[in-house]
Amino acid sequence: MELANIESLLEDYFEGNTTLEQEAILRTYFANEEVADHLAPYKNLFAGLSMAKQEVSQRELVLPETAKSSRGMWYSIAASLAIVLTVAGFMFSNSGMSQDEQDALMALNKTKETMLMFSDNLNKGTEPMFLLSENFTKGTDALVAINEITLTTNKVLK
Amino acid sequence: MQQKEFLEIILPVKDKLFRLARRILVSTDEAEDAVQEVFLKLWKGKDNMEKYKNPEAFAMTMTKNYCLDRLKSKQASNLKIVHNNFHHTDNIERTVEGNEGVEMVLKLMETLPEKQRMIMQLRDVEQFEFAEISEMLEINETAIRVGLSRARKTIREQLIKQYNYGIS
Repeated sequence: MELANIESLLEDYFEGNTTLEQEAILRTYFANEEVADHLAPYKNLFAGLSMAKQEVSQRELVLPETAKSSRGMWYSIAASLAIVLTVAGFMFSNSGMSQDEQDALMALNKTKETMLMFSDNLNKGTEPMFLLSENFTKGTDALVAINEITLTTNKVLK
Repeated sequence: MQQKEFLEIILPVKDKLFRLARRILVSTDEAEDAVQEVFLKLWKGKDNMEKYKNPEAFAMTMTKNYCLDRLKSKQASNLKIVHNNFHHTDNIERTVEGNEGVEMVLKLMETLPEKQRMIMQLRDVEQFEFAEISEMLEINETAIRVGLSRARKTIREQLIKQYNYGIS
């Protein structure tokens, strides 16, 4: 870049009329070349401005742990409570059976008892039936005998 | 928006925010505090941030406002702003050590009025377009050019003075 060009760019620069591209040209020029004495102060200017850009924040950023709003937090608390209670319920129920299972077992036993009782009585009931049928047979025997008598009587009457 | 997403947008801007804060507040510590505060605010308002076309400009504006508020409240409480600019022990000082002229530019920038300081920071250090600076600082482009020209001329005057003093 010719010196005259640089001087004209500098002029624009101090009026605030340079574009970013033109300012880049100035920066490069003053960073690389040996400059004329009267331009020496500008070397420091552009070097200083470049230097200023190298400054960086040293502190680690601290953001609150996923600030999900307190509602989200209550949901998770409720969920973990539910899990804990369920597990505890299992651990404290007898012999690993739930209340329902125990109830069902008890009902089954009761039913069995009742059925046994019922069948006992049923057997008692069948005994008289045997007696009855025996008597019935005796009755029919008698009837047969009566029939025979009638037949004989009829013959006699003829 | 998740934290990861948020950081992807905002972390690349962190150092720029820091440098702007540093330019306004001068103290490195206070600038770090300011960045932290601005990030917290951005994180709390992250759902609004999605509406902004340019999160970088938005974050810059927040930083500028936050820092100017800090300055105001310091002045209001009659706290003298301690210009301990060059007692700080950050990386800048170490790198420019032994290079008086270069260091001088930063020192001189800190003597500028805040507005000019911010404009020069955003233009000459961060190299933003005038339109972007206008959005960030909420100042129209013409005023930015005027402020920039004044800032650059002040620095030039002082640098030339220093230079002549140095060689005479």
